[in-house]
Formats: sequence, structure tokens, C-alpha cells
Amino acid sequence: MSEFSLYLLQQLINGLTIGSTYALIAIGYTMVYGIIGMINFAHGEIYMIGSYVAFIVIAGLLGMGLVSLPIILIVALIVAVVISSTYGWTVERVAYRPLRGSNRLIPLISAIGMSIFLQNFVGISQGYRDVALPPQVVGGWTFGDPSVFEVTVSYMQLMIWAATLITMTALTLFISRSRMGRACRACSEDLGMTNLLGIDTNKIIALTFIVGAALAAIAGLLLGLYYGVVNPFVGFIAGLKAFTAAVLGGIGSIPGAMLGGLVLGVTEAMTAAFFPSEYKDVVAFGLLVLILLFRPSGLLGKPEVEKV
Amino acid sequence: MKKIAKKLMTLGTVAALAGAVSIANAETLKIGLAGPATGPVAQYGDMQKIGVMAAIDDINKAGGINGMQLEGVIYDDACDPKQAVAVANKIVNDGIQHVVGHLCSSSTEPATDIYEEEGVLMITAASTSPTITEKGFQLIFRTIGLDSLQGSLAADHILGTVKPQRIAVIHDKQQYGEGLATAVKSKLEGNNLTPVMFEGVTPGDKDFSALIAKLKKNNIDFVYYGGYHPELGLILRQSSEKGFNAQFMGPEGIVNSDLAKIAGDAVEGVLATAPKSFDQNPVNQARVEAIKAKGEDPTGPFVFTAYAAVEVMTNAIKATGKTDPFELADHIRANSLDTAIGNVKYNEKGDLTESTFLVYQLHKDGTKTPAQ
Repeated sequence: MSEFSLYLLQQLINGLTIGSTYALIAIGYTMVYGIIGMINFAHGEIYMIGSYVAFIVIAGLLGMGLVSLPIILIVALIVAVVISSTYGWTVERVAYRPLRGSNRLIPLISAIGMSIFLQNFVGISQGYRDVALPPQVVGGWTFGDPSVFEVTVSYMQLMIWAATLITMTALTLFISRSRMGRACRACSEDLGMTNLLGIDTNKIIALTFIVGAALAAIAGLLLGLYYGVVNPFVGFIAGLKAFTAAVLGGIGSIPGAMLGGLVLGVTEAMTAAFFPSEYKDVVAFGLLVLILLFRPSGLLGKPEVEKV
Repeated sequence: MKKIAKKLMTLGTVAALAGAVSIANAETLKIGLAGPATGPVAQYGDMQKIGVMAAIDDINKAGGINGMQLEGVIYDDACDPKQAVAVANKIVNDGIQHVVGHLCSSSTEPATDIYEEEGVLMITAASTSPTITEKGFQLIFRTIGLDSLQGSLAADHILGTVKPQRIAVIHDKQQYGEGLATAVKSKLEGNNLTPVMFEGVTPGDKDFSALIAKLKKNNIDFVYYGGYHPELGLILRQSSEKGFNAQFMGPEGIVNSDLAKIAGDAVEGVLATAPKSFDQNPVNQARVEAIKAKGEDPTGPFVFTAYAAVEVMTNAIKATGKTDPFELADHIRANSLDTAIGNVKYNEKGDLTESTFLVYQLHKDGTKTPAQ
């Protein structure tokens, strides 16, 4: 293969990796929007908390002398998912449920408040500095002629793809096949009607927050391991990017969030590949504006029907 | 729980101190200490605090100046320009006329307007952006060299010692980082070594894989990074994971032990321009011991520049017998002084006439040695 195609392939790999994690976080935004029509701005912070919990568990287990990496990762995953989901549920219970039914702007402000609260809460309890973890999953494959251009796929990147794929498949099955999933879909069709039909919508909404938080925790663990660094402010940028991915794919649509994440990740990588990398955000967000101009409901979103 | 208890105790001590101060107010001169106590670069704020507090302790133990005891009052700007303006206004409102700080150039610059206008003497121990002293202000000084000097020192080292083939200059699009990167680039271009790449990254970004692939494709063998350690740490770490092994170099903003925590072994051999290790200077031996005795770290690059800032300030107060900032500024401009960072002499703008930087090689255990 020529240098150009190898380079293109490397950048595609980089873009798909970052895009996968955008997608995982974006699901949380899109599910909540799909059901109660609000943007949960504290969602990025749930991701950040997932990262912190995973770091603490991994560092703790390593400190206790445990060496088996798969066991460490599985324990970290379970603890991160459980604690983040608890935070997701609590945030919903404390900051959003009492405001349900009020003006749309009020829960939005409450969400922004929650986001700032969580950033500073974690900052005060864990310190505002970067917390670092030595690389745990090392090595990878390389291919291509070293004298032309060598493409690297690290095991960590493969792990991110695999974990994203498994999680997305599980979520899709859960939404389409299970009773709870059907209730979720019903709520997103018409919340009031679902309530009248005897489904406890409060429970379903809480479930949505828990599922979204669990996915964010998975992303938190994966990205924490991939970058090796976490600080109380990582949730803000990650949340902004994931929110963009959700809007790009069509907010409210779960396949849309997946596609939006991948499109955003690949666009960023390709822009950085062929233009000076400071144009990365300009192009990525320019693309968002363009798509919304021509498809206001996003790539896979359903056009909003005015209910009378 | 322990942490909270400790915090409460600190609060209690501060309150007690504040109470004590109001009684002995007549004999106390307050020195404002402005810098990041929180935020991602808080460790630089700690260095400044260690230096200033050590200087204040030494002076107070020696009987204070002109019968006055010194007291350091900490203001947190988190290295955020907006917060820096708020902090500067608060310092003015609190009636403090002598400030050591701010730390990040982007915070120092907006704050200087307020100090100059309100008659507050400010000495920064860490801000290296040339524009800070270019407005013709009376009351603004520093105890650290300029970006332009640091950049040209770095460029000299690249041209004279490293002699790479293909250079990339990367920066973080902020005043400090981009200023340095531009200084390095223009000096290199002046010597017929045009960088192959000149690009910015976004502060706070975590993923640099696309940038690294591009560096690799362009066969870069030397990278100069203008910015701070959180981003460079990740660039180093991801570079070594992706098999990109160029020589890296950065300014003093990357020099602290957190760089090694983030980047691990990839730090070994990275070059950096940093203020000379004043803690190695025999003149400072007793001060180093005193700082160590308090359980603090005397090796940070801004510890003794901050110490010297207090010396410059208090020496002028002692010599003139006054505390009026304008008279002190005139005295500082007119006289040279032996301080913890050597002999300091100022030009009309308030800059040091001699550079205080040296090229160092960083190691994975967080230490540094002078580069060969």
C-alpha cells in the first residue's frame, strides 16, 4: 500500500476509536432527551466520575498486589458502573424529578448547576490536579512497511472497539426485546399516554438515567485507561463532544447517537490529518451546523411532529 | 473524613490568625499572593506560595522591616484571566498595595491594568510573556526572564547542540505557549532551519493520536512544544505507545513532577528551558533547609523567583523607609540587588536585564540535570 493509503488508514483507526467513546457517552444524552425532552448537562460529569472510580479501584487492586489484568478490569468495570449509575439515579431524583412538568428551561438550568456542583465536588474531594495511571494494556499490532509508513493498532484501541460493539449490541437488544425496553420506547412515543396505561413512568425515567450513566461509566473506564489521565474537568469537553454527536445523529435516536459519534470522531481525525490540527474543532462543528441546516432533525432523527 | 477534619482545622487556624492580625494591625504589612491555588496548574501556585512564605518567615524572624511584620495573603485566580481580574479588584479593595503574582501570563496581563491604575506594586515570579511589560507601566516588575529570551535560548540549543533535520513546532494556542513557539520558530527561520510543521492543539484535549500520526508521516525528528505539562504529558505518552520517537523540548511550563506521572518513562531525555536551579546555589542552602524542614519542596522552578520577588519588594521598603508603591518602583529601577536568584537589575520596562534560564534534561523520576 502507498504511504497515503496507510496514513489514511491510521487516521481512520484513530478517528473510529475516539468516535466509539463519543458514541457511548452520546447514548446517555439521547435516551434522556428521547423520553423527557430535556438535555442532561450533568451527563459528562457522570462519565468523569466513572473514570475516577475506575482509577481508584485499579490503583487500589494494584496496590493490594493483584496482578491479573482481566480480573482488575472486570472489578473496576463493575464498581464504576454501579457507582456511576447510583450518581445518575440520584441526580435525576434530586435535581430533575421535582422539577418535572415545569417550564423546559428550569430543569436545564438545574442540570447545568448539577454539572458545576459535581465538577467541584470531585475537585474538592480528589484534588483538582491530573491524576495519572501507568499504562495497563500495552502493546499492539503494527503493519505496513516501516520505511514507508507503519500503521499501529494498539490492544487498547481494539479493546475500546470490542467493548463499544458489545455494549451497543446489548443495549439494542435490551431496547428492542425486553419488557423494560418496550416500556422505554412507549415512554418516548408518548409519556402521558404510557402513564395512563398503567406503566410507572417515573421508574422508566429513572431506568433511562441509570442505563445512560452505566454506558458513560464504561466510556470513563475505557478512556481513562486509553489516556491514563483524569481530572475533574474532563467531563465538560467529553460531554460537549458527545452532546454534539447526539445532535448530529438526531437527538432522541439511539442508532443516531452511535452514528453521530463515529462521524464526529472520524471527521476530527481526518481534519487533523490534512489541515493544521487547530482547525479540528472548526471543521467538526462547522459540519454540525451544515447538517442541521439541511437536516434539522439530524442524520437519523425523526422530524418533530407538532402535537396539537 | 480525615481530609475534611484537616480542612476544618486549617480554616480554624486561618480564622484565628485573622483575629490576631486585626489586633496587631498597625505593625503588619500585608503582601498579596496571587496565583492558582486550584485548577489544573495549581502546583505552580504552590511553588510560588512556598517561596513567598519562606521569604516572609525569614524576614519576620529577623525582626521584620522597619518594625513591621509581614503577612502573606493568598488569592486564588485558578490561572483564569476572568478570575484574575476579580482577584486584582479584591486585592485593591482589601487595601493591599504590594503583590507577588500573578502566575500564568494570561492572568497577569489583565491584572496589571488594574494594579497600575490603582497604585499597587506587582512583581510576578513566573509570567514570561513579553507583552506584560510593554505597556509602559510604572509598577509592574518580574523576577523571571522573558519568553523571548527563553525561546531564543531554546532555539540556540536546537541549532547548536541538537541539530535536528525536520522540526515540528506545536503550541497550545494560549498566550504563553504560542508566544514561545513563535519565538522559537522565528529564530530557527532566521537561521535557515524552517520548521516542517507549526500547529496548535486545544488545551484540555486528551486525544493527540491524529497529530502524532501526522508527525510520524512527516518524519519529524524534533518537536518543540510551547505550553504546559498536561497536554505535553499526553503527547509524550501517546507518542511512545504509537512508536513515534522524536526528541521533545519544552519551556519551563512543562517542568514539574506531574509530567513524569502522566507520561511515565517517555519523559526520559526530554529537554526543557527552565530557570536555573536556585536551590542548588550555595547562597540558598539555609533557605532550602528551612523549606524542607516545613515538609515542602524547594526544587520547583518558581520557589526562589518568588522568594526574590519578596526580597526586591522588602529591600526597597527598607531602603526608602516608605511603603508607597511609586517610590518603591523608582528605587527598584534605580538600584541593583543581590537576591536568592543572584544579582537583579531592572531596565526601564521592569524586566530583568539578564536571563535566568538554562537548558535542562528531564528524567522519569521527576528530576532534571543540565543538558550537555
